[in-house]
Amino acid sequence: MRRLGATLVALALLTAPAAAERLTIALSTMDIRIDSDFTGDAITVFGVIERDAAAVSRAAPYDVAVLVRGPVESVVARRKEPLLFLWVNRSSETFTAAPSYYALSSTRPLDEIATPQLLRRFGLGFRNIPLQVAEAAEARTDPEFRDAFIRLRKEAGLYSEFAGGVDFIGSSELVFLTAAWIPSNAPDGRYTVEVFLFSGSAFLAREEATLNVTKVGFEQFMYEASHNQALFYGLACVLLALFTGWLAGVIFRRD
Amino acid sequence: MLIYLPIAELSVNMFIIFGMGGAVGFLSGLFGVGGGFLLTPLLIFSGIPPVVSVATVASQIVASSASAALSYWRRRMVDLKLATVLMLAGMVGTLLGVLVFNGLRSLGQLDLIIGISYVTFLGTIGGLMLTESVRAIVNARRGRPAPLRKPGQHNWVHGLPLKMRFKRSKLYVSAIPVVALGVGIGFLGALLGIGGGFILVPALIYLLRVPTNVVVGTSLVQIVATMSVATILHAVTNFSVDIVLAIILMVGGVIGAQFGARVGQNIRGDQLRALLAILVLAVAARFFFGLVTPPDEPFSLTTLSGSPL
Repeated sequence: MRRLGATLVALALLTAPAAAERLTIALSTMDIRIDSDFTGDAITVFGVIERDAAAVSRAAPYDVAVLVRGPVESVVARRKEPLLFLWVNRSSETFTAAPSYYALSSTRPLDEIATPQLLRRFGLGFRNIPLQVAEAAEARTDPEFRDAFIRLRKEAGLYSEFAGGVDFIGSSELVFLTAAWIPSNAPDGRYTVEVFLFSGSAFLAREEATLNVTKVGFEQFMYEASHNQALFYGLACVLLALFTGWLAGVIFRRD
Repeated sequence: MLIYLPIAELSVNMFIIFGMGGAVGFLSGLFGVGGGFLLTPLLIFSGIPPVVSVATVASQIVASSASAALSYWRRRMVDLKLATVLMLAGMVGTLLGVLVFNGLRSLGQLDLIIGISYVTFLGTIGGLMLTESVRAIVNARRGRPAPLRKPGQHNWVHGLPLKMRFKRSKLYVSAIPVVALGVGIGFLGALLGIGGGFILVPALIYLLRVPTNVVVGTSLVQIVATMSVATILHAVTNFSVDIVLAIILMVGGVIGAQFGARVGQNIRGDQLRALLAILVLAVAARFFFGLVTPPDEPFSLTTLSGSPL
């Protein structure tokens, strides 16, 4: 019964916006290429809120949240604990679906623009990222690992949350833009850009675009060679080493 | 000048890494050691992941040992039969070492074992070297002659079965300690990113009584072979050999070694050994403090196979 209710609410939420507002978004670039002197790049997300004839005038202003997510990966978080007199990795928790990159910007603080249920449903906010803990059956998941995971990712510049990062341009308040920073340590892969439109804590519309982050150049060639042609790569390293050693012997020969 | 390391996946200052390679090369030329036991820790302490440090230094050791091995080979100062037995055993040891390395990595215990091993080995060897060299220095001051070793002196090793004859070394000795030594050095080399010369050379001299004129050449040939195998095995199983890092280290290392060798000729052997011992103990102490002091950040993130994130 509860599930049916939830489904109905979800259906209502998903179908309702179609009649009123629509989002159109554009990215400043759909391809980010990471090469050797890449120090990070900003992508700008533009959006327009389109109102059709059926759109009612809203009592509350529009709120926008823009979420950029990198491909998911499995991550093991470990904690060092004292053992005798040593500090040793003793406990760990595995997250099987952690986004490798997560940048969220919004017009106002999240709890002011949508209900907690909506935020959780869309994975908006650090607290709502579905990391999917492995071995959760043991029922001893420690929230400390999750907090540490998010803190370390923030420190690495890969996770960010910016309330006030989305700005409306012009007096109509229907055109907005925001920027997300892709740092040099961002992993490559397909990124998704999701834009959510809210008004008075109610969900109105959602639009999605994708962004490809690819590594190019010598570095990428080497990285791929080391993984796909591991044996040749290893042999090449050894031959290079032997050659360097031999060359040094020839150059610096003292007899 | 920042340069991006494709496998370590981070940017480093090329000149700092080059300087490290050069400094360790200088010391290895000065002391006549491979330098892996200094270079690997130095890279780890400077923020390169231990996995990449160990795997990449394996290839650097190939380069730094190859030119020396070649010159010993030319001067016929290598016992080929002994080197072959050591090499074959060393390859088995290397394989075991890489397997243990990868296992520890996915358990998240690699850094700990590397730390403990460095403290144990470097602490023991540094301590022994320091007492030995200080005694030699004190003896020399007092004008006492160094104790002479009698030729043909035997120890317990020479009582073991399965004897083999090594003509070049004028040895008739059991294969058991030779194989054990080869396996052990290969294992440690793959696990810790060291050539193992600083263990192998004393072991060959004191344990097997290999004549000193072939010891260094033979051990160098063994090190080139096992470290080549270690490089390939690391490359194939954990993809952690960073070719860019390796090139910088190799070039810095071979240049530094030339200067080191020249300076080394003007310093007395016992003083040189005392200096090396202090250096070895300092590295051991640094690892020890890393293991016992509460970490600033107790949490760490890795992939499932253990690569740091």
